[in-house]
Amino acid sequence: MAILRRQQKVKFEGGGLVLFQEVQHAMIAEKALKAAEYMVRLVAPPPELRKGCDLAVEINLVEQPGIERVLKEKDLAYISIDPIRLKTAPLLDIVKVTDFGDWVMVKAGNMKITCEKSGGVIVNVSGGGCPDIPYLHAELIDKRLDEAQRPKDLGFTLCALNLDRAFDECLALYNGGGWK
Amino acid sequence: MMLIAGTVPIKDMPLAMGQVAAEGDWLVVDGKRIPCTQGTGAMVSAALTTTGYLGLDAPYALLVGDIGEGRGSRQLYQYLIDHVAELSPAVLALHYWLPDMAQTRQLCSAIGKCEKRPIMIADAASMYSAKAAGLAEAFDIFTPDATEIAFLADPEATHPAYIAGHLFETDVSNTPDLARTAYENHGAAGLLLVKGAKDYVIRGGEILATITEPDVPMLEPIGGTGDTITGLVAALTYAELEPHEAAIIAARTNRMAGKYAWVTPATRVRQIIAQFPTVFKDYLCQWSNVCYIKGGY
Repeated sequence: MAILRRQQKVKFEGGGLVLFQEVQHAMIAEKALKAAEYMVRLVAPPPELRKGCDLAVEINLVEQPGIERVLKEKDLAYISIDPIRLKTAPLLDIVKVTDFGDWVMVKAGNMKITCEKSGGVIVNVSGGGCPDIPYLHAELIDKRLDEAQRPKDLGFTLCALNLDRAFDECLALYNGGGWK
Repeated sequence: MMLIAGTVPIKDMPLAMGQVAAEGDWLVVDGKRIPCTQGTGAMVSAALTTTGYLGLDAPYALLVGDIGEGRGSRQLYQYLIDHVAELSPAVLALHYWLPDMAQTRQLCSAIGKCEKRPIMIADAASMYSAKAAGLAEAFDIFTPDATEIAFLADPEATHPAYIAGHLFETDVSNTPDLARTAYENHGAAGLLLVKGAKDYVIRGGEILATITEPDVPMLEPIGGTGDTITGLVAALTYAELEPHEAAIIAARTNRMAGKYAWVTPATRVRQIIAQFPTVFKDYLCQWSNVCYIKGGY
């Protein structure tokens, strides 16, 4: 006897939602993100998170920066990107600075960037765990802060976003002479 | 076999699976040349150097190119899901990839089909996805840093960027409290090696050891110095040390190698790995009480 089996679909647990004002916007955004090879799906947002229409795009929250970039490039309006877990804290916005004499290290969340005080050259990037971090490490090392591309423009993940915050603070210290 | 899986920052590099060899400053896996830099490259290199010293089989590595777009990570997950049972590694160390909760669940389920359950180690985003999927307790060893222990303690966070501010603000000296909270919230592996100014080895919330010497603060800014600790832990576990012994020796080795390399914040991680054989020669007997090592030099 033939046994019919339904093809097993890869399940998706994204952890983040893009919220929209209009249903149409959500549908267009889903197509654009799929075209950019992101794993996404249309879902109904829980009532506690609903801000606009009753359709949202579920995303892998870790990919938030890359997804924001695609939506911006395609000029697709959205209200916000939020974690699905209701009690999740807002994005960390705390930086810590450590002075190592000739060098300064700035830490934002799980990411650290270290620069030479004299010329603003990036000498190391550490921390994180997402796949764009080793790439950003290779791209940023030995470049001057004021000449390097921003991590948020090169990276795709929340680790890159944290690194960008550290980079931003480091650049502000360099430009403002804060570490001299 | 010891199997290390993770992404490398080479765009579009296809999956590579094979035993690792060194070629100058490069690693070679399945004919692909991988830089020994921050991330999975540093971890693999640390493990290879350690197994080489101990006269053990070189690690196998499953690597794929991914610069953050996620395609390579998904291929890597799928390969492991499809093949881990037939590979049945003794030690499985998971490292950089784009965290995916659903694929992590599938992987843990596939690991259940291994003839003998591997010793499971996770660091970097494979640790993030294990914790976010509620599967931390399926792992034997996590190697978080002082920020990541706050992430493991926060029951809601699925990535360290979303840690509650009060946990991130917590002083490093509160690592034991954060670790206890992580265990209470089922966010920790069997053993934690928390890397920081003071390294902690913690099991079930109980501190088994702290390591503070030598004190080399300039290790912290160097990209890859956490990855090397995980590579050391994986190799020493493969050498059949108990997980907590492997963690203690790994932390000591990394610190001592930093001292031997006279590190500055501008030092590259490969300069530290290059010191491991000398550190082992000088201290491994004393630290491990194993004083005859076949194949050691």
